[in-house]
Amino acid sequence: MSWIDLAFYVLAGIAVYSGWRVFRTDSMVRASFLLLLSFLAVGAVMLLLGAVYLGVALFFMMAVEMMVMALFMVMFMMNPAGLNPMNMVHQPRLAAVAGVVAFLALAATALLADFPERPVPTGAEPVRALGTELLGDSMLVFESAGVTLLATMIGVVVLSARSGRFGPSDEGSRPPGLEPGGEPAGAPHESPSTGGHAHPH
Amino acid sequence: MTEILLPTIVVLATLLAGSVVVAFLDHAVAGIIAGSSSRGRLLAPLSRAAMLWLRPDSTTEHPDALLWRLAPAAYLALAALGLAVVPWSADFVPVTLPTGIVLWGAVEALATVVIFLNGWGPNAPLPLLGGYRHVAAGLSYILVSMFVLIGVALPAESLAFDAVIASQQGLWNLVRQPLGLPLFLIVGLGLGVWGPLRFADADDLAGGTTAESSGPRRLAWALARTAMLVAFSAVAASAFLGGWLGPWLPGPVWLLLKMLLVLTLLVLLGRVLARVSPERFVGLAWLVLLPLAFIDLLWAGLLAL
Repeated sequence: MSWIDLAFYVLAGIAVYSGWRVFRTDSMVRASFLLLLSFLAVGAVMLLLGAVYLGVALFFMMAVEMMVMALFMVMFMMNPAGLNPMNMVHQPRLAAVAGVVAFLALAATALLADFPERPVPTGAEPVRALGTELLGDSMLVFESAGVTLLATMIGVVVLSARSGRFGPSDEGSRPPGLEPGGEPAGAPHESPSTGGHAHPH
Repeated sequence: MTEILLPTIVVLATLLAGSVVVAFLDHAVAGIIAGSSSRGRLLAPLSRAAMLWLRPDSTTEHPDALLWRLAPAAYLALAALGLAVVPWSADFVPVTLPTGIVLWGAVEALATVVIFLNGWGPNAPLPLLGGYRHVAAGLSYILVSMFVLIGVALPAESLAFDAVIASQQGLWNLVRQPLGLPLFLIVGLGLGVWGPLRFADADDLAGGTTAESSGPRRLAWALARTAMLVAFSAVAASAFLGGWLGPWLPGPVWLLLKMLLVLTLLVLLGRVLARVSPERFVGLAWLVLLPLAFIDLLWAGLLAL
């Protein structure tokens, strides 16, 4: 076993283990950065495969994306600064079934498909070839994806900003109670004489 | 064995020696600006480091101990990663990577994550505020840096640092793209949490991400910050000042001289630039610096056509 094989097994182990821990941790921030660790290991595996651009690009794209993801999750959730522990799993049974099915399908493809025996030629220039592909035949696909992502980001910023299009976003909003039907958590108690809202007591 | 050992020693020794140089430079510049009162205590930076080293460590209630401990080490590792792809001469490059500039972009992005984690680790309000502040600043300056670096890669028609240096044989990028280095220096201040962009560790947050750390932990953080400045100076020298190119002297000496020049500039800027609040910096970055970076990229693209 060469050191490249060894590095592959170690990195693959890190990727799978940290990917699993994403769903076992109880914090949005830790989940984001465990996912980042998983992606970094995958990026290093891509470097081992000779994808010098895609591997390194994965590092910086995932670093920015996971940081932004953690930030937006904290901004959207009623969880001050992301410090309160919370369950990171929704619909666990459906997710588990989907995960197992997807894993079996991918594993079956990897094991059963008939891949062509074609090692990378020595003179190959992966960076140049990728650039030609991105700005050549596949330009429409990638540009559409890029514009869609940009529109999504702008939408998220508009939705999460306090100074929204229709005035301050928290005006008239009511934080959920600590127990079902309870008093709003963290909100100052309003006396009935000054408050304009009808409170269901 | 030597082909692994020698680059490792060169990179680590440069980071360590460079950090000591930055500490002395900063001390000297502060002394000159404030009058010569502190010039007598020449060894003050070293004695301050020794004092931090000897002071006991402390902890907080329910810290994220692993991430808190890893953050300074990862910051230092990122500085080493960035410095490793910078060529020292035509035939001595610690790590040859055809996408060295993209790797430096990754170092900048991951540094933001690491600085945030240093604020997240202690599980305390002031460090966390410092961490979130740096995220806002970091997400703003990373974009500026990206456009400036694409501008550098355009005339070289390559993402490798040796090609970028070779493209400056006739004329440095400093002259060819006059907006590049000034914008990139601001990125460097942010990357090292330095001077006016010291939002994460700011005094108005009682030390921000370092508010709860003491002793060797704090020394490690200070070392990692200066080491990141040293790595940045090597990248800036290679991207805008022709790297190891130069007459008479050997390549590594030229690189070191240019790194020293960039470090002096950074330290000077760190002491004389006006400090702005984080909110105003984010506005400045998106409304002024980013459009300037667009102009820089357009300029570089039109020249390269």
